[in-house]
Amino acid sequence: MTLEPFANEPVLELRRAAQRAKLTAALDELVLPLRVPVWIGEDRRDDEQLVSTDPGEPERVVALAASATPAEAAAAVAAARGAFNAWSATPAADRAAALLRAAAWMRERRRALAALALRECAKPWTDADADVCEAIDFLEFYARGALRLADGAPLLQVPGERNELRYVPRGVCAVIAPWNFPLAIPMGMTAAALATGNTVVLKPAEQAPGCGLMVVEALRAGGVPAGAISLLPGGGDAGAALAAHPDVATIAFTGSAAVGSELLRDAAAVQPGARDLKRVIAEMGGKNCVIVDADADLDDAIPAIVASAFGYAGQKCSAASRVLVSEQIHDVLLERLAGAVACLTVGPAADFASDVPPLIERSAQQRVRSYAAQAAAEGAVVSARQDDVPAAGWYCAAVIAASLPSRSALLRDEIFGPLLCVEAVRDIDEACDLVDALPVALTGALFSRNPRTVAHVASRSPVGNLYVNRATTGAMVGRQPFGGNRLSGTGTKAGGSDYLLQFVQPQVLSENTLRHGLVIS
Amino acid sequence: MHRPALEREIQLVGHELAKAFPSRRGHPIRALDERAMDLAARDEELRAALFRFVDVVPACRSAGDLATHLIGFLDEVHDQPPPLSAAMRMACSGAGRAALGAASAASVRHMAHRFIVGSDPRAALPTLARLWHDAIATSVDLLGEATVTAVEADRYAARCAAALDVLAPAYAAMDPHPLLERDSVGVLPRANLSVKVSALTPLLRAEAPARGRDDAAPRLRELLRRADALGAHLHIDMESLDSREAVLELVLELLAEPEFERGPSAGIVLQAYLRDSPETLDRVLDWARATPRPGVALVVRLVKGAYWDHEVVEARSHGWSVPVFEEKAACDRNFETLTERLMQARPAVRVAIASHNLRSVSHAIACNRLQGGSDADVELQVLRGLGDDLGHALATLGLRVRAYCPVGDLVAGMAYLVRRLLENTANESFLHDQATGVPLELLLAPPAT
Repeated sequence: MTLEPFANEPVLELRRAAQRAKLTAALDELVLPLRVPVWIGEDRRDDEQLVSTDPGEPERVVALAASATPAEAAAAVAAARGAFNAWSATPAADRAAALLRAAAWMRERRRALAALALRECAKPWTDADADVCEAIDFLEFYARGALRLADGAPLLQVPGERNELRYVPRGVCAVIAPWNFPLAIPMGMTAAALATGNTVVLKPAEQAPGCGLMVVEALRAGGVPAGAISLLPGGGDAGAALAAHPDVATIAFTGSAAVGSELLRDAAAVQPGARDLKRVIAEMGGKNCVIVDADADLDDAIPAIVASAFGYAGQKCSAASRVLVSEQIHDVLLERLAGAVACLTVGPAADFASDVPPLIERSAQQRVRSYAAQAAAEGAVVSARQDDVPAAGWYCAAVIAASLPSRSALLRDEIFGPLLCVEAVRDIDEACDLVDALPVALTGALFSRNPRTVAHVASRSPVGNLYVNRATTGAMVGRQPFGGNRLSGTGTKAGGSDYLLQFVQPQVLSENTLRHGLVIS
Repeated sequence: MHRPALEREIQLVGHELAKAFPSRRGHPIRALDERAMDLAARDEELRAALFRFVDVVPACRSAGDLATHLIGFLDEVHDQPPPLSAAMRMACSGAGRAALGAASAASVRHMAHRFIVGSDPRAALPTLARLWHDAIATSVDLLGEATVTAVEADRYAARCAAALDVLAPAYAAMDPHPLLERDSVGVLPRANLSVKVSALTPLLRAEAPARGRDDAAPRLRELLRRADALGAHLHIDMESLDSREAVLELVLELLAEPEFERGPSAGIVLQAYLRDSPETLDRVLDWARATPRPGVALVVRLVKGAYWDHEVVEARSHGWSVPVFEEKAACDRNFETLTERLMQARPAVRVAIASHNLRSVSHAIACNRLQGGSDADVELQVLRGLGDDLGHALATLGLRVRAYCPVGDLVAGMAYLVRRLLENTANESFLHDQATGVPLELLLAPPAT
């Protein structure tokens, strides 16, 4: 099987009015609510225990989902285990072909899928479209990667023996996915597991069961056998029951640090009946800093910082949360940044003119508002115009907090909302010290035009993804493999060439080819 | 149009123009360090290093800081010509760094002054007056930092208004120049200001053109009123494709408002490097025919377009089809087709041809003559600093010339300067050809098909 080299799925050219009109039409045609079953093999159980709503208009129901019970979690794992022998024995090329057909299925429906992500998770159009593209990218990228992996790795060969190293799938993989990239992230983790011959039970975020259903629909439409991919909508308990099952060999998780740490801890204990040491692939939060040196071009830096901090209302794990700016230009930067934030529009995701969409749910809105209040109490605050913030929906004004005391929790906690802290630093090394003092290390950015500063900061930075003179968000499959270091994750890189190694184990076959002094081969 | 006759006329005009060029006291890039620019044009790494240096000069706070940046960039050039190795050695000591920094900053400033006529409109007046005396009208462009806040948009609008206030009386006091002041449509304002919509609003969004359009509208409306009151011309520049929709809608909507039916004189820009520029022209001409503005017909400035690299990189990085012609000849052909269409569309529009390509300019002049147009009915525009010789040659031949004159401080001018330098050292650049002595026959040959 030879394939064209991987290329990223092009995002829609939304500067063209005709393209925008097609998206708006797709949103109008979206039939809601979706019904999302617990879908184990061929068995579907529909129910309405779990309801996802439009964060911008909470009375609009997007999906009615069944909520999986612990028994169903066990049944899903059993189905996955049952399907494992056949799927793992399926030639890699056939598995890759199924993934590519799933990609084609998504491509055909890309506008409808973007519209669903927009409704269910308040992804603005550009982000929603990019999410669909990234899901397609993961399918295409891992399909190719798995084909390469199927060749195994070369070993030293000497006369009289034949040595082979091949990568075999680990078994049943539990995928526990977040809502903020509701198609791309679950598809990425699932596609990596399937491409390498594992079978999967997917537990989508309880805020995004509708998008989770689309992931499974795509894969099944592409020809992945029913038992090899099951859907387990539900809350945290369903995820916990799934992850704890002794027959789960791998847990692929993206989400909060609290849940991730729990998964890691529980997975370490070998349960009675278990046949695998569980492997956990975890992508968790960050406290992402943008360093701005005195020689930065603020004309470039300010729009990039605004996009990093306030795009999708700051709800990307890669979003910028702190700006560490050289004291020589601190005042100018703060004034211009504040002015830029003051003219942001907080509004519905469906409106192309919105800059800051609503947050995912009420509790997120409350959390961010309480941080904003704390910022106002501790330091100086500038924000987008409050009177423009829509009353219904989980909206929050964009906020910049400056002059915070160094002990402030705002400088440590992952706020996951449209709130950005700005701090003055004496020099680049002080900025590097502050970054180094954080226990998390996901993304970071540096604005400087001195190549030596760039090299220096790169050598000191602990983050998983360091961006120079650009935004912290928008990692592309195959171009910026993504994942954090330290407590931000297990150090794996989604969309990178070595990601698939997490889902396999190497196996060595060494055969004696000498028989009565004769080499038989 | 009869092609052989047109080609004959183009050759005639082209040869006349070439003869009128100031003798080799230098080609248009004479003021730059020719050797450096020549090296830069041949060596991509060096070109990148020099441009990155020019770009960061205004943000450097001391000579030592400048030298540190320069050396940082040159570090990345693998094949260092001898003068650069000398500079690198110089940077080993503090005193050497200071000297190197001061010298390099001085040369960048010197280079910038070729393109930028003054730090503000008042400071630019002596140069503008000299040009007028040499039979060259101007359009003043106020350089500035990017607009990211409402305050910055207001400040830019205020600078534009102040510039009109300075330019109009200053130009009124100059001697009459009939060629520059009237065409067959009517009076041509002397004072002429080019404005950028991206500076009039912080809200230009490629996927939401209405937002920037609506935010810029009140500021542009005020400027139109001011220009009208002062009898000045206001030209709205075109920038990257991301903002074209907003700019076009904004200008066409405002100029259609009843209060602007009889003034001011105003114009837009058509970028010939865009593959869909013919459709944009359809739209502009439909508007112009449906919106008569007696005596102040819309001026359409035809340019190749100054954001070629940006458009190609942006499209490629997103996987979009490239919106600009990637072959020079295709772009040149389109330029000529659009020139002819614009000329035929008169008097619904006034035509300005802005090019340094001898063939394109000769083609426009020839076309106009063959259509029986008076030379006054086509304006030829050049860029200050790059098209000076061409501008003077055109003026010598009694053609109507306008020089686009950027005004502003060094910080503000860097983005502009870098764009012009890119244009100047591009291998397919006409100026580069001309400077390296490509024969006239080739320069005037029709674009290959």
